[in-house]
Amino acid sequence: MQPPVENYANPNTCLFHVLFKGAALAFYILSALFFNSFVIIFVVTVLLAALDFWVVKNVSGRILVGLRWWNEINDLGESVWKFESLDQESLARMNKKDSWLFWWTLYLAAAAWLILGVFSLIRFQADYLLVVGVCLSLNAANIIGFTKCKKDAKKQFQQFASQTIASRFQSTVQSAFTLV
Amino acid sequence: MSHNDTIPLYQSSQSDIDEIENMMNDGFQSGPGTVLPARPPSPIRPSIPVSSSPFVQSNLPPLPPSSSSAAQKVTPVPAPPSLPPAVNFGSSEGSKTTGFGSPPNTWTEPVWDTVKRDLSRIVSNLKLVVFPNPNREDPGKALRDWDLWGPFFFIVFLGLTLSWSASVKKSEVFAVAFALLAAGAVILTLNVLLLGGHIIFFQSLSLLGYCLFPLDVGAVICMLKDNVILKMIVVTVTLAWSSWAAYPFMSAAVNPRRKALALYPVFLMYVSVGFLIIAID
Repeated sequence: MQPPVENYANPNTCLFHVLFKGAALAFYILSALFFNSFVIIFVVTVLLAALDFWVVKNVSGRILVGLRWWNEINDLGESVWKFESLDQESLARMNKKDSWLFWWTLYLAAAAWLILGVFSLIRFQADYLLVVGVCLSLNAANIIGFTKCKKDAKKQFQQFASQTIASRFQSTVQSAFTLV
Repeated sequence: MSHNDTIPLYQSSQSDIDEIENMMNDGFQSGPGTVLPARPPSPIRPSIPVSSSPFVQSNLPPLPPSSSSAAQKVTPVPAPPSLPPAVNFGSSEGSKTTGFGSPPNTWTEPVWDTVKRDLSRIVSNLKLVVFPNPNREDPGKALRDWDLWGPFFFIVFLGLTLSWSASVKKSEVFAVAFALLAAGAVILTLNVLLLGGHIIFFQSLSLLGYCLFPLDVGAVICMLKDNVILKMIVVTVTLAWSSWAAYPFMSAAVNPRRKALALYPVFLMYVSVGFLIIAID
């Protein structure tokens, strides 16, 4: 008997995650057909990209994959980057489809902006290159932040697992000795 | 009592609860053999406010029921259903982890709370930087909570205002204004860093962006009234205001002998923006 196919656990969040990215890309690509003014293209595209950055960082990262990253300035005045993830139980329970969508759309959007950037470079359009540059850096920031979170989470899990194994081993040995 | 095999829902709450339970055990003397009324454990745990200030006072009231529930929380940890209802705390996500080190449980807060928190952070940063207030004496502590949303809005707004006021070449005006302000902020920050100053890159970008607020106001006034004399007065006033806003933060960051070297370029940039505002017609 086939287990039922898992559906998206958070369809609304998934939608918003994809919505702003897609809107920014679509607007940028299609706007040349409708608007003559660079200002509108710039402002709307960058605004959509910034909203997408905020949504991914603060909402969909937390809800779809249980990861979070931010920057703090500690009391010594130094800048500290914090990477956080939910504990292993909750992470294991995350919906697979959600996280697949999260990561793949992140990578695809960055790749799309890269290609658009190459186009505008070829055409020597410096102002459009500016737009692409801003959007690309926002996407890259999110990718780097979340990848670091994931690596951190894996490292913690491995540490935890090895610690647990070590302590279990230790207690087994101890109980073996006390039985003698 | 073995609480050790309870699975920590959130990294923060476990240690707090253990500490609280130790205190309660001194008073309550409830051992493992005591029969205690069954209570649903999970809703209680997330509701204990976790704050970075001494939590004892605020935590005591809801405790009597929870000590009993925690005693039973040994095996059947009701797997926390997808996410418990929204827990809202006053402190913000990236907030000051003073001492107790437990980040507040903002994992499950509703989106609207996140939005409100970010908006209030923008407002408070603006008030901190641009308006006179006692925190300006300690620039290092101010703008701890930097964010780039405020600067983004102000730069775009200034570009739009200038572009609107321009009768020709609107796109170029916008592009030039935006690039000038963004690149200028980056270069000014690098300037401070190269002078051996201690400032954090994003904090400085954030500061320089917020200091554009007076120039925004000036640009709007100039857009509405086209009198040259008025424009010059308005621009001079807002220019002085912007420089006054940026002064303590920039000067605190560098060696006193190099203060002028750090501040002069900032002033220069604001003067050039001021000229841009006056010259646009």
